[in-house]
Amino acid sequence: MTNRSVRWFEACAAFVEFLCAVCRCLVTGPRYLFETLRVMDLLIRRCLIPVGLAVAPVGAVISLQGAGLFRMFGAESLLSSLLATAIFREYSPALASVMVAAQAGSSIAARIGTMKVRGQIDALAVMSVDPIRYVVVPGLIACIIVTPLLSVLTTLLGLVSGWFFAVPVMGVDHGSFLANLYAQVSLVDLWVGMGKCMAFGTAVGLIAGFLGLRTSGGATGVGKAANDTVTLTIVLILVADYFVSMLLLRLGV
Amino acid sequence: MAEQQAAITLVKVCKSFGTNRVLHEVSLTLPAGKIMVMLGPSGTGKSVLLRCLVGLMKPDSGRIFIEGKDITGLDERRSAGREQLFALRRKFGMLFQDGALFDDMTVGDNVAFPLRQHAKLSEREIAARVADDLERVGLKGAQSKMPSELSGGMRKRVAFARAIALRPKIVLCDEPSSGLDPVMSATLDELILDLHRSLGMTFVVISHDTAEARKIADYVGLLYKGELQAFGPKDEVLRSNQRAINQFFERSTEGPIQVL
Repeated sequence: MTNRSVRWFEACAAFVEFLCAVCRCLVTGPRYLFETLRVMDLLIRRCLIPVGLAVAPVGAVISLQGAGLFRMFGAESLLSSLLATAIFREYSPALASVMVAAQAGSSIAARIGTMKVRGQIDALAVMSVDPIRYVVVPGLIACIIVTPLLSVLTTLLGLVSGWFFAVPVMGVDHGSFLANLYAQVSLVDLWVGMGKCMAFGTAVGLIAGFLGLRTSGGATGVGKAANDTVTLTIVLILVADYFVSMLLLRLGV
Repeated sequence: MAEQQAAITLVKVCKSFGTNRVLHEVSLTLPAGKIMVMLGPSGTGKSVLLRCLVGLMKPDSGRIFIEGKDITGLDERRSAGREQLFALRRKFGMLFQDGALFDDMTVGDNVAFPLRQHAKLSEREIAARVADDLERVGLKGAQSKMPSELSGGMRKRVAFARAIALRPKIVLCDEPSSGLDPVMSATLDELILDLHRSLGMTFVVISHDTAEARKIADYVGLLYKGELQAFGPKDEVLRSNQRAINQFFERSTEGPIQVL
């Protein structure tokens, strides 16, 4: 028991030290712009299709289930308001972040972990290149930029699939669907969503980098690092998302 | 004064992992421009010794001097220590045991990596240097290949080209001959001798190949159970008639070195 708490304490101290090193690398040069762009390209390619596939059905489900219910109250035209609110405020940021955690987090952690167990991280250090600067920071910046971009995509996909199942399939009027789409959402929702995405992207990049660099024990260790990253970030994202939503509802935004 | 001519000086270096004593009071002085071959059975702390030399590991006690400068206290986590450590490491080239090439870069980019990071050269000059170094290691025109397309021996030679790209003063080689066929390891030996003659580099070679030691070494050390059993100029060590040395060079099971 004491042994475990010592290890936990040691990990926390290591994480704080890691955070300081990351901050130092963010504010000072040299910066590896090309490496950052390369990781961004990689992440977008890895995330695009899974994120699209995961989010598209959400709009469809809201429309399919909602249309009948709203019709009972004669409020069909308000269906699009619910759809837009749910997608802008909740689904899009949360799902985009969770998918980035699953896809980007695991691939970053696995890449760094592989470099670690194969001695490439040491090779970087021996070549006087700070591994945190060269492999962790580009991944972190890529996550912070890519997550909101993907969230834009998920928003569009969610709305389109919602429209498709509401208008042609369930027979909701196209005009009233569009007219009420933005009735309940404001620009604030958009910015809050983007802010959440960037915050969650930061968490994914940091945790993937931290656990990747702590990898030990060969291929099994790499798998464990990737797995731990996904589990930890998704739990963190869902819990944080809950508190942010509660706070915003309290504030009446 | 002796330390000024020495490339590497170790004074009573100790290192343990938990209760496992890996290095115990290792002291040696290697003059600049010499080739040292550190022999020893597997798992006797040879690699740990190399890692201590470049500051990847800290000795528990003892001091390490590189070209007369004490590097023992340099802490990578502090900015002053990090600057000094990074400056120090530019004196080194290191060939890792399995190459440690970057998987997602071509061979050419791997060799060019240290040049792009630290040398103020144009892309054209870098390309010329990379082509030159790859030719040196017998891999002319392999620039656009990926490391995964190469055999183990070829990867090791690419890693060697990367280690010498910046023309470091000291080259550390962790088991350059392990996993290579005899002809290939002889080629690598020739390469070390050639670079030593033409560029005057100091080499620290970790090995358990006595033939390699006979061929290239100026200085020979024998590490067993974390202790330096013998160290000195090759001829002196070979003539010293120490039991551990004799056992190792005669490939005998009889002697102080026990199979664990």
